[in-house]
Amino acid sequence: MRARFGLTALAALLAASLAATPAQAQNALVVSIWGGNWKDTVERIIGKAFTARTGIPVEYEVGGTIDRLAKARVAKGNPLVDLNFTTTHVARLYISDGLYDKLDMAKIPNAKEITREAVRSDYHVGSWAYVYTVVYRPDLVKEEITRWSDLWKPSLKGKIAMPDFDPSHIITIAALMEGGNEVNWQKGEAKLRQLKESVAAFYSTDAQSQDLMKTGQGPVQVMLSVNAYHLQEQGIAVKVVQPTDYPGIVGIDTMAVMAGSKKADAAHQFINLALSKEIQGELVKALRAGPVNPGAAVPANLKGQPGIFGTAAEWKERGYIMNDDARAKNLPGWREWFTANIVKK
Amino acid sequence: MKLLLPAAAVLAVFAAALGALFRWSVLEFVPGSLQTGGVTLANFRMVMAPQYLGAIRDTVVLSALTTVLTLLAAYPVAYALARTPSRRVRSLLLVLTLAPFFTGAIVRTYAWVLVLGNTVVTWPVPMLFTERGVLVGLVHFSMPTMILILAAALSHIDPAYERAAASLGARPGRVFLRVTLPLSLPGIVSGGLIVFAWTLSAFPTPEMLGGGKVKMIANVVRDLGLDSFNWPGAAAFALVALVLTLGMLTALGRLGARHAP
Repeated sequence: MRARFGLTALAALLAASLAATPAQAQNALVVSIWGGNWKDTVERIIGKAFTARTGIPVEYEVGGTIDRLAKARVAKGNPLVDLNFTTTHVARLYISDGLYDKLDMAKIPNAKEITREAVRSDYHVGSWAYVYTVVYRPDLVKEEITRWSDLWKPSLKGKIAMPDFDPSHIITIAALMEGGNEVNWQKGEAKLRQLKESVAAFYSTDAQSQDLMKTGQGPVQVMLSVNAYHLQEQGIAVKVVQPTDYPGIVGIDTMAVMAGSKKADAAHQFINLALSKEIQGELVKALRAGPVNPGAAVPANLKGQPGIFGTAAEWKERGYIMNDDARAKNLPGWREWFTANIVKK
Repeated sequence: MKLLLPAAAVLAVFAAALGALFRWSVLEFVPGSLQTGGVTLANFRMVMAPQYLGAIRDTVVLSALTTVLTLLAAYPVAYALARTPSRRVRSLLLVLTLAPFFTGAIVRTYAWVLVLGNTVVTWPVPMLFTERGVLVGLVHFSMPTMILILAAALSHIDPAYERAAASLGARPGRVFLRVTLPLSLPGIVSGGLIVFAWTLSAFPTPEMLGGGKVKMIANVVRDLGLDSFNWPGAAAFALVALVLTLGMLTALGRLGARHAP
């Protein structure tokens, strides 16, 4: 008898919880984003302010760039999330597959304040920016590094680490050095080949990059500025170089509304709030990434640092923005060439 | 017949996954888009390029070396485990053998990053981010399983055979080579096949200890699928690798069966 009562109670509890879940999800705005610090920061700074202003709760779906893309593809037309954060060139893949809705700029008045470079398309706008630049540990590398071209110095042989999951940064820099760019990148092929012997390791994830720096296995890196600042916070003395010969390669993370979202209005409100100068100022402090709203307050210790662009002139002079389409289309070919010519022994 | 239904259901899921893999492998990859084109064999032509075939060759070589070295390193431990009369020694060996199982592949491999780098030990030749380093990690990863399989095989050998050989004048080395080793061949074959097969699909060890310079099959599939967004290419490469792996394992299985006592 007791067992039957227990089972009945358990079934009732299960039914109640199942009934509650969709109701909660129905009210909430669902945001897709990377896990860890990215999700925590967006939740703390944008999500809470959004809920306080609108009364709409926010739920988060976290995952890697491609996991989330794959899920979005499977749920095409009836998306499981309403708003998506991803890197600008990956957003091109969403757009090409019809996974994003066009943004209604009338519902995002703060978009008028943001820098021109952050409006990536009719479908997606930047949320923050950073650069891939040269980062090194002065305790392990005695000479000062000030330029991209220093990477080619024989003294740095066997000390450099760089990403192999996306070699577009170093490919573009080599092309720029040889008078080309990301479109006619082949101009930099010979220059890149000269770098082959200098590379100690290639990394596939941000975590690997930071581990290589911490352990000293890759004390000079082509590295994401945000990760470098994160290492500094952890007490690892790394120097983030503001290269004097060619600018850092800009990365822009973006926001977009999923096609078919039933919370499109709320998603637009979320984006609008994220672009406000107040929220942008908070994001700069938390992520140490560059604001897309030049009106955002940048702490004195971050002003002028690599990846932190305060003015339109800084965006232009200290960052090189690749063409999103060219990058998305060339990436597979770049990876293939890079693996065959630089990574391979 | 009804008893076979659960197995058929499970196998149907596997077959569906393989079918999806095959379907993706023959769809045209469109760079910069998630859309695929029509049916094509171009993905298979692409993965026949030297860099991809090189990854398959490296995988097979590393797997074979891992199998041999694991066998050589594991056999003495397994022998001691099976033959020691001391329960305390056996327990100690068992704990030491099983301990790596409980630390997880990532933790173990990360520890090797520290050991193989020059932060803890200064190595005469570079170890980290080389095939040598990956080999060390793979052998360490495979040893517990090999030890347990070999120990089970050795414990099934009746010590009376060894005693009989010794009583007829055979020295310990000869007893081992002519009696123990041949009788433990089934364990060697099954342990070798298991280690070889799972090393073929190794991922975290080459990923972390190879520093991007040592790529095995699983790493290349990941690179193609997740970094290049080339899902058709990843599927084609996975399929080619799968066929080659099955072929090799079948051949090795038959070879092992032919030489089993």
